[in-house]
Amino acid sequence: MSKKRVLIVDDEIHIVHVVAIKLRNNDYEVISADNGAEAFELARSEKPDIIVTDFQMPVMTGLELVEKIRQCDVTKDIPVIMLTARSFAVEDQQKEDLQISQCLSKPFSPKELLEDIEDILYHRAVVNHQV
Amino acid sequence: MRSVRNLYLIVSAVVAVSLLAGGLAQWLNSGTEEGRRFAGYMQRVPVASACCIVGAVGVIWLGWYWLKLAGAITSMAKRLKQEKLHKINFNERIQDRDTDEIKPRDEARVKLNHNALVDELSEVIDERLGDYSNIIGRLEKQINDLQIQIQLTQRQKGHIEAIIYGIHDAVIVIDEFDRLLMANEAAGKLFNFNFESAQHRRIGELIHEGKSEFTDFLRHTRQSKAQPTRKEIEFSEDGEPKTFDCIVSCIYDENRQVCGVVAVLHDITREKQIQQTKNDFVNHVCHELKTPLASINAYSEMLTDGEAKDAQTRKEFYSVIRSQAKRLNGLIEDILNISRIESGLIKVDKGPVSLTILIEEQLQMIKSYAEEKNICLKDIGQSRVVFDRVYGDKDMISQVIVNLLSNAIKYTPSGGSVKIETEVDETADIARLSVTDTGIGIPENEIEHIFDKFYRVSTNKKQAEGTGLGLNLVKQIIEKVHDGRVFVRSKPGQGSTFGFELPLATRNVVESLPTAGRAQLR
Repeated sequence: MSKKRVLIVDDEIHIVHVVAIKLRNNDYEVISADNGAEAFELARSEKPDIIVTDFQMPVMTGLELVEKIRQCDVTKDIPVIMLTARSFAVEDQQKEDLQISQCLSKPFSPKELLEDIEDILYHRAVVNHQV
Repeated sequence: MRSVRNLYLIVSAVVAVSLLAGGLAQWLNSGTEEGRRFAGYMQRVPVASACCIVGAVGVIWLGWYWLKLAGAITSMAKRLKQEKLHKINFNERIQDRDTDEIKPRDEARVKLNHNALVDELSEVIDERLGDYSNIIGRLEKQINDLQIQIQLTQRQKGHIEAIIYGIHDAVIVIDEFDRLLMANEAAGKLFNFNFESAQHRRIGELIHEGKSEFTDFLRHTRQSKAQPTRKEIEFSEDGEPKTFDCIVSCIYDENRQVCGVVAVLHDITREKQIQQTKNDFVNHVCHELKTPLASINAYSEMLTDGEAKDAQTRKEFYSVIRSQAKRLNGLIEDILNISRIESGLIKVDKGPVSLTILIEEQLQMIKSYAEEKNICLKDIGQSRVVFDRVYGDKDMISQVIVNLLSNAIKYTPSGGSVKIETEVDETADIARLSVTDTGIGIPENEIEHIFDKFYRVSTNKKQAEGTGLGLNLVKQIIEKVHDGRVFVRSKPGQGSTFGFELPLATRNVVESLPTAGRAQLR
């Protein structure tokens, strides 16, 4: 069984680094980008199983990235987890409209992030299997 | 009274008969046939002559009597004004007179009765006059009170008008038919009308489209007879969008019916902007504080969970935690310094300071960082004689120099160079310090934001860590504390020049300093 691929998007290099180590230690393949525009191109070309993105980034914010992902046929079904250092950055309606699976506020626990990723991918696999 | 009347009747009858007889005699002498015949008869009887004599005597007597009575009334009235006569029971006397049988009276008795009547009448008139005098007195007092009240009301009106016309807020008063009763200058300016010509016109005609939310609010408050109501209304003034805190209150008449509405519009655009800036600042601070905290939290959890498999990884994790903790501390220090400067609470200890000497001190401190990054530091003004003294706070200007130097080193690739130089412009009376690097530069469209709080050049974020507060602190210290000016020139890929200009510490400033101040001259 091939490894699940995770795209991590954050302009904070230390966050990308620590999440990447956590995921690689748990048999995930990790690709990363430090801004939304680069992440969108990677998402289209690499078709990750899940995207973990920061909310506030230069060039393109996390929300703008998700909007673009949902508009693209290749990437529209990829689940997204949003990390944010701002309180109430994402409203419930936005979360629902953009199909954001989970929002985690910084500081976050890498362990909890891993559990969330596993849950989302598991449910997706079950749904796909049933279909 | 009746006897007097009877006397008058008798006298009047005698006079009338006499006059009739006189008239008859005249007729007899008029020349008619009947008159002559009757006169002949009458000549034989001396009645006519007697009647004429009695009539003449009666007229003379009656005239004399009335003259005397008038004189008595006049003198009695005069006397009553000078002295108080004893009281006569008027009612009792009247009763007595009514029950008495009319008897003939002599002249003295009639005169006495008339005098008594005049006395009583005078007394009544006097009492009435007294009453009227009291009433007039009270009325005069009331008029005086009313005049004072009118003066006070006019003065209060003047005060209220002075307040209304003096305040900066726009004030509008309309009546129950939405007609303009009063408006101050601010209201005229806001709604673009002149009060003198606009008075009594309907508010809907004066306040044009784009501001209908306000007129609707006025009408709604008046019609609903609501208590003072408040609403934030946005419309443009001179083309600029503005926000007004609008308070509208009903005016009631004596029957508690709404007879008008008063509206006060307070411009809260600035407050809203400050509130927005404050919210943005708090959000930014929150984000900037949480970012290093997130790294510290994640790396320490990874270490605890044994996710760092080897010693090298563990060492790397510890290093990240340490650097992020340092970043957090630096951020807090910068925020506090900026906050202190902005609020004016920071203690400023100004004196003549030589830029050359400060540069020497800061270069020593930062030399190791430049060596670590293999960057050449050049001090162009090193050999200059110390003429570049500015009047400022030594510690603050040192902070500015170290911020500019560390920024230049941070964003200059290995092998590059950073030069610092000073120059004195005696014509403009300023000293100029500039730090030039051969670093990555700043895109043109981002230069204008480079001194903003928390602003970081997006493409340079990967190059080095930063809080986005260092250059803002430089700007605050130079411009807010020292009345100087900061400047920047940059080209992407070629490097940047950051610097500042400060007024020179002139001879007068140095000489006017107390001895302790001059001792600080470095």
